[in-house]
Amino acid sequence: MPGIEKCLLHAMELPGARGAAIVDWISGLALGTVGEPSGADHETTAAETAELARMAAEYSAFAPAGPDRPDKEPPVQDLILITRTDFHLIRFVETTFDSSVFLHLWLDRDTGNLALARIRLQSIAERLVLG
Amino acid sequence: MKAALSPMLARLADERATGVLVRDRGALYLADGQVVHAESPEAPGIDVLLTACGRLPRAGWEEAVEQAGARNEVGRFLVDSGRLAGGELEICHLGALFDAAFFALTPGSGPTRFRYGVSHWIGPVRPVPAATVTREASRRRALLAAVWPYPDVDSAPVVPRAPTTGRWITRRQRSVLNLADGVRTPEAIARALGRPAFPTLLDVRRLAAGGLVETPAGPAPPPTPPAPAWVAREYAATDIALLRRLRDALEESL
Repeated sequence: MPGIEKCLLHAMELPGARGAAIVDWISGLALGTVGEPSGADHETTAAETAELARMAAEYSAFAPAGPDRPDKEPPVQDLILITRTDFHLIRFVETTFDSSVFLHLWLDRDTGNLALARIRLQSIAERLVLG
Repeated sequence: MKAALSPMLARLADERATGVLVRDRGALYLADGQVVHAESPEAPGIDVLLTACGRLPRAGWEEAVEQAGARNEVGRFLVDSGRLAGGELEICHLGALFDAAFFALTPGSGPTRFRYGVSHWIGPVRPVPAATVTREASRRRALLAAVWPYPDVDSAPVVPRAPTTGRWITRRQRSVLNLADGVRTPEAIARALGRPAFPTLLDVRRLAAGGLVETPAGPAPPPTPPAPAWVAREYAATDIALLRRLRDALEESL
């Protein structure tokens, strides 16, 4: 059964991967990290990515619209942030119990493959909680 | 903000101590100087988090404790028997650990004592350095203070207020507000939702800051110590912290 450590190491196998973390978006706490931090250190990076994730998960602008919106929590699945040199991928982890965690993967833009990384991160997030 | 017990915890971490650190508002379990578990009467335990939402039936949890509790391997048993995925256990357990540690490490909450050699029946899940746990606890305190610097709302019954404007509130806040009946405290709401206490406190402070729940005027009455069954169950020996709480409770009823 893959735990946090194994899932993060799987994420790091992606081409261009520089760092990965699993972070609680309510508290900003990193539950696990591998590779380099994209910010000053892993703790700061986790707190800052959590702030971004929290806005996406909570702000009304991104709340699902329409009468048949799924009642899943949080409504956001992925966040993709592209800088001039990097890709940042955030994938929210869905759990049956109450939690608020996401996977953050930091990729080099020259060597990384965004589409592949997104699909892979999705399956990693699922396997993390499905075993 | 430096918690007064930091030097003690740092020393225990340095000497790679194994045992339990007991304080008024909770306990930290160490193994080889790392934090492996924490519990507090103010934070829902991992059993509540897993059963309230229906992830595990109560009976399934109790069976795991019965089967593996005596050899301190409940965590591993839950995964090996296919009841939980490894990642699920780690996420849920770490959530509960940091949640309880936040209360256990409250600055100035009474005497601190350490009992060597005690380990918890959940067994090893994902040990965390003691320094990380202390840092996170003070970071969380700062986070709450930044949102709404009135700690009284944390322990008082949550009383909803009629919103003055059509404020947007998040779904998580909505579920907290739905249970705010003027009787339940944030801790009781967290327990009812099967949600860790800290996120609930944060939501209550945000709601208070937004004028959607009342902020109690003046200092709240000292929290009545909850039934100390969890302490009695875990620590048969004389427990100063428990005696202190009993004395306080008795004095209150004079």
